[in-house]
Amino acid sequence: MRYLTLYKYFLRFSFTKAMEFRLDFFFRIVMDIIYYAVNILFFHVIYLHTPMLAGWTQDQMIIFIAGYLLCDALNMTIFSNNVWWLPQFINRGDLDYYLIRPVSPLFFLSLREFAANSFVNLFVAIGFFIYALTQYQTPFEWYQLTFYLLMLFNGVLLQFCIQLLFVLPTFWIQSQRGLLDFFYAISFAGERPDRIYKGIVRILFTYVVPLSLIASYPARLFMDPFDSWTLIQFIGITIVFWGIVLTIWKKGLRSYSSASS
Amino acid sequence: MIKVSNLSKSFAVYHKEPGLMGSLRGLFIRKSSIKYALHDVSLEVHPGEILGLIGANGAGKTTLVKILSGIMHPTSGEVSILGFKPWERSNQYRRQMSLIMGQKSQVWWDLPALDSFLLLKEIYQIDDETYQFNIDYLSKTLGIADHLKTQVRKLSLGERMKVELMAALLHNPKVIFLDEPTIGLDITSQKAVREFLKDYQRKYNPIMILTSHYMEDIKELCSRINIIRKGEMIYDGPLSHIQKLTGDTKHLKVTTKDGELEFTIPRENLAIKTKEIFESHEVIDLNIQDPSIEDIIDQILKHGLQKQ
Repeated sequence: MRYLTLYKYFLRFSFTKAMEFRLDFFFRIVMDIIYYAVNILFFHVIYLHTPMLAGWTQDQMIIFIAGYLLCDALNMTIFSNNVWWLPQFINRGDLDYYLIRPVSPLFFLSLREFAANSFVNLFVAIGFFIYALTQYQTPFEWYQLTFYLLMLFNGVLLQFCIQLLFVLPTFWIQSQRGLLDFFYAISFAGERPDRIYKGIVRILFTYVVPLSLIASYPARLFMDPFDSWTLIQFIGITIVFWGIVLTIWKKGLRSYSSASS
Repeated sequence: MIKVSNLSKSFAVYHKEPGLMGSLRGLFIRKSSIKYALHDVSLEVHPGEILGLIGANGAGKTTLVKILSGIMHPTSGEVSILGFKPWERSNQYRRQMSLIMGQKSQVWWDLPALDSFLLLKEIYQIDDETYQFNIDYLSKTLGIADHLKTQVRKLSLGERMKVELMAALLHNPKVIFLDEPTIGLDITSQKAVREFLKDYQRKYNPIMILTSHYMEDIKELCSRINIIRKGEMIYDGPLSHIQKLTGDTKHLKVTTKDGELEFTIPRENLAIKTKEIFESHEVIDLNIQDPSIEDIIDQILKHGLQKQ
């Protein structure tokens, strides 16, 4: 409850700040719309050649893409800015004041800055999501949709966890960005349905760097016949990865050297 | 109360040879050695006491403060503050503690100070009455009541420091660490901050540790000082006793026809030395003084505590 009140302050601060940098708004919107269009076109081209891909027809694939883009927009607005700054905070010793407050520093540092600039894109993503639902040919119930959205949110959390795992090594290696560049390089793996991957690559993107789960599992749970194993894996892996993040975070703080003046 | 026993903090330091080749070699082979930022430090501070930490840059003052405030883990040794181990960072401890660093800001730069204060109110769960009382008291004593609605980055350095002080004291901390709170401030602001701290100390009786490079701060505020040199505590006691440490010396300032000369000599040599000076120079003016605290501290920081 108290954390909700705190988050309300973060939101207020972020919006106040964003109002001062209005030009950013427009750049962000243009950039993101281009990114969405490229994603949609990519699959459109593929479906000119085949009626089915990874077990999904084109209208199903659009549901998946819409889900992925919604995840991405949520991640961009809620977490992304904070993760981006974290390595520099660690390097420059800026964690100091977060560590002395009687509030979880990880909570503070991951939610501190709400990307008010990307906020508009969230509406674009929601718009596209609604469009995807209207062209979807299989009838569905409201509770199924709610469940899909919940699962997508779990996907956002998982994505955030994975991203943190690439940032936390900054505690030990002297690096400007942590391994964030590496993360961005492989993050495309989540933009494709998991079933297009086979063998080792599939195992890699399911269990080692579970990027392919983020949007694929929610989409599968929404559109395919219900499969409890998919659900258990999805939730289980998210919990396990949270555990890993928290453990490494604690270890990291032990060796935090707080570069000073 | 603060009790520190045998506290040490060491770092591995990597050596890099200069130049590009050195950097390349450093990618694969790194020589490292262990450096002590703090070595076997023990001290005690009681409520109502302001302890002054003195030391050159890099002597370990800030490291000590950061361990005591729970930001860093020590390599070995024990600390107990109000019964807590700081680096366990329990909420109970953090609620009663505050840290002010002259070099790092804790308020949101793009927002008016009052907004940051509201967030802190929520973080420390300060009730409305206490909050309002503290805002009134602090802003009045610090004289910044008019600036609380201005974006912090538009404030002057002195005003900003006062805002930082307010932010740090809203929750009535029992333990306060001040790491160079007057750094970069002009004389008037330095004085205002000092006066405020004195007043605050009298009113609330917290445990305080202060580090500063300005001897005025230490003289005015601290009943006791600790001198840290290269990570080791070399003096613990009142500031006034420090003159005896370096032996009884006198400072001679001589103005001659050719210019000014200065000497620091043991008191017993005073007569002989003055005679020598009068014999070898055409003296216009002669001034004999006790060495200033600043000079003594400077000597100790440079050469340690050997007698002269």
